Amino acid sequence: MLYLSQLQGKQVWDAWSEPLGKFQDVLVGNVDQPFPPVRAIAMETPDGAERLIPASQLSGLFPSILLKVPGEEVQPYTPKGDELRLVDRVLDRQIVDIDGRRVVRVNDVQLARLRDQFCITGVDVGGQGLLRRLGLEPMAQAVASRLKRRLPAQVIPWEDVAPVQDTDPLRLRISRDKISQLPPADIAAILNDLDRRTGEALARGLDNETLADMLEESPADVQVNILSQLPPERAADILEEMDPDEAADLLADLPPQTTEHLLDLMEDEDAEDVRALLAYPEDTAGGIMTTEFAYVPSGLTVREALEYLRNSEDASDDEVMYYVYVLDSADVLQGVISLRDLVMAPPDKPIEELIETDPVVVYPLTSQNEAAYLIAKYNLLAIPVVEEENGVMLGIVTVDDALDAVLPTAWKKRLPRFF
Amino acid sequence: MKRVQAGLKLVFARLGMYLAILGPGLITASADNDAPGIATYSMAGSTYGYRFLWLLLVITVGEVVVQETAGRMGAVTGKGTADLIRERFGVKVTAFAMLCLLLANLGTTVAQFAGVAAATELFGLSRYITVPLAAALVGFVVLRGSYEHVEKVLLVLCLSALSYVISAFMIKPPWGEVLRQAVVPSIQFDTNFILAVLATIGTTITPWGIIYMQASVADKGVDLQKYRLTRMDVTVGAVWGNVVSAFIIICTAATLYVVGISVETAEQAAMALEPLAGVGARYLFAIGLLGASLLAASVLPLSTSYAVCEAFGWERGLNQRPRDAAVFYGLYIGIIVLSVLTVLIPGIPLFPLMWLSQSMNAILLPVLLVLVIKLVNDRRIMGEWVNSRFQNIFSWALAIIILLITVVLFISPLLGMQAPG
Repeated sequence: MLYLSQLQGKQVWDAWSEPLGKFQDVLVGNVDQPFPPVRAIAMETPDGAERLIPASQLSGLFPSILLKVPGEEVQPYTPKGDELRLVDRVLDRQIVDIDGRRVVRVNDVQLARLRDQFCITGVDVGGQGLLRRLGLEPMAQAVASRLKRRLPAQVIPWEDVAPVQDTDPLRLRISRDKISQLPPADIAAILNDLDRRTGEALARGLDNETLADMLEESPADVQVNILSQLPPERAADILEEMDPDEAADLLADLPPQTTEHLLDLMEDEDAEDVRALLAYPEDTAGGIMTTEFAYVPSGLTVREALEYLRNSEDASDDEVMYYVYVLDSADVLQGVISLRDLVMAPPDKPIEELIETDPVVVYPLTSQNEAAYLIAKYNLLAIPVVEEENGVMLGIVTVDDALDAVLPTAWKKRLPRFF
Repeated sequence: MKRVQAGLKLVFARLGMYLAILGPGLITASADNDAPGIATYSMAGSTYGYRFLWLLLVITVGEVVVQETAGRMGAVTGKGTADLIRERFGVKVTAFAMLCLLLANLGTTVAQFAGVAAATELFGLSRYITVPLAAALVGFVVLRGSYEHVEKVLLVLCLSALSYVISAFMIKPPWGEVLRQAVVPSIQFDTNFILAVLATIGTTITPWGIIYMQASVADKGVDLQKYRLTRMDVTVGAVWGNVVSAFIIICTAATLYVVGISVETAEQAAMALEPLAGVGARYLFAIGLLGASLLAASVLPLSTSYAVCEAFGWERGLNQRPRDAAVFYGLYIGIIVLSVLTVLIPGIPLFPLMWLSQSMNAILLPVLLVLVIKLVNDRRIMGEWVNSRFQNIFSWALAIIILLITVVLFISPLLGMQAPG
């Protein structure tokens, strides 16, 4: 295997073994392919100028860089504008490892001869690459073989690499497309690991739904930073995509005028939900509940209830739908049935005969710890939140949101600032 | 009426903006007066009287220039110092720079735990109990993520450094003489004096201060249009930190130097606060020292292992599980354990340990400083935000002068320059 670092600083020789200059960089094209071909190499001539030599005139790269033609016959390479310079833009930079879902640093780039041309095969992000750069690889190799072990190699295939520190919008888009396929929690972690500017540039380019999902998984300060970078109309669209409880949490961290402005831009229905949630303190059941839950009116049969759910917008917004709640005409909670029991019941049975009529409930101002305690005690997946005076159902607290209150997620363990 | 309202609104918006941006500068500046800082200034004041005040004046300008450079790099690039060094200079230079950073910060962490030992011994507690306890506490607090709450408590403890300011006014030192010494340079050519000069530089302008400043500005994401505010924060912070430092020198000079006590222990250093607190001076001193030591001991090992892992691309940060970020956690624990063990070596003199570690800091500083100067003048990285001519002259001068002093230090035994007493 050939590595970029083995070429650095080497002499370039022409067909008559005359030195032409010092190797500087490799230019590759078609970086969206799994094996991007080397288009040219850049070298520094003795008078300090840069000279590009097309790959077609290369005879070999290792052990020495050798051309097929004499120096005076070398045709200069004219850049097409889409080349990626490996030493300048890839080596030592941070990239996203799509397969490993993490941000890593490029210690070296692996090149290989594929048929008649050189191309990139992968990037070395492991200790072996570091040792090679430090010139310690042979020594480490000797020690390792003495110990009957092999040096751990970590080469990521180019297909799984997303270069991100790039000014070229096209390449950034390719990387973004790769990254946006990952689960939202991983995207959030990756953007958080990247430096601020790059992370925000990537986030801005994600589509609204991905961005909304990703924001839900991000720590509060990252949410605020990314959202405040977007034009207000787009920010409002993203808030609509988010679960109302998450959107409310985010808006609570923004300055009051901004919150008002964004709420005005949101669609009335979504904005209303969020406004209602914003009224409750963050550490209460009201503060962590979601207003999107599946319910049916009383007086239906099982068949009718299932039919009702299929057409209900609220039910389709419910993220998990562990339970179906039965409400009367004034939205007062009558009872609850698990979706499982509803699906398994005979279709013609009136739903009233199946529901649990005295479910455990919390009030909006019940502390989130109490809600978590009740969920744990009664082994629930979600607990309904009702108005204390009249029993009108407002929303549900799901087990994951309640758990967040008791066991802070890893994100919340962040120190202030960088660490 | 409407006009007045709009005006008021603007004033409050401005004020809020200032308060939101103020921060990293003040924190780094308070950290100037950490345990090794207090030790260094006490030593300098009690041994050389007011003679270090002019040096402090020069160092203040130096700190403003260097910290502002770091803050500007963070604001413009959004990246950490180690990140930029790696991308610009490659693996070999990075490895060398990180080794220097690691050594400097290890020394300073040792000094923080020495501060813990010295402070708790003033309360009559054995360091063999308190230092491991403090290390466990720091590790627990930071790894549990409750640092944010503890930071405030520790910052309040650090406020006791203010007692030097009050104390100085109660002593009524000869202000004319103080002012004269603050502007008239005086130099002495002996090894101890040179070490003391280096320590004073090294405890004020620190490698980790640069890294920390850049990281916190980068992480906050300062809008370049509002960059003036960050610059102000840095300047105010540096000046403020050094005003307190100057008062430590004045206090120790006016109480200890005049009676010929050159501070070698924490008991002696505490005597500088006696005019203010009488018999309680040792406790006041101990509380301040403890707060400052614990604050720095929490941040320092963490920022060090973060920077090293950032440079080499290893998983880092407290949101990673230890299994995924073995190097990060390993370095963090390693630095703490090594520091604790050093402090627990029987008979090791704590006070010299604290300030001598700062001389080492200064000796290692030029490595990072030169890299930073090169980075900040690279137009591809900084665009129009490169250094001004004054900033360049001053930064280079600082690096070169430290180098020269270091050379003088190492050849001074050969020249037969001995300590006079």
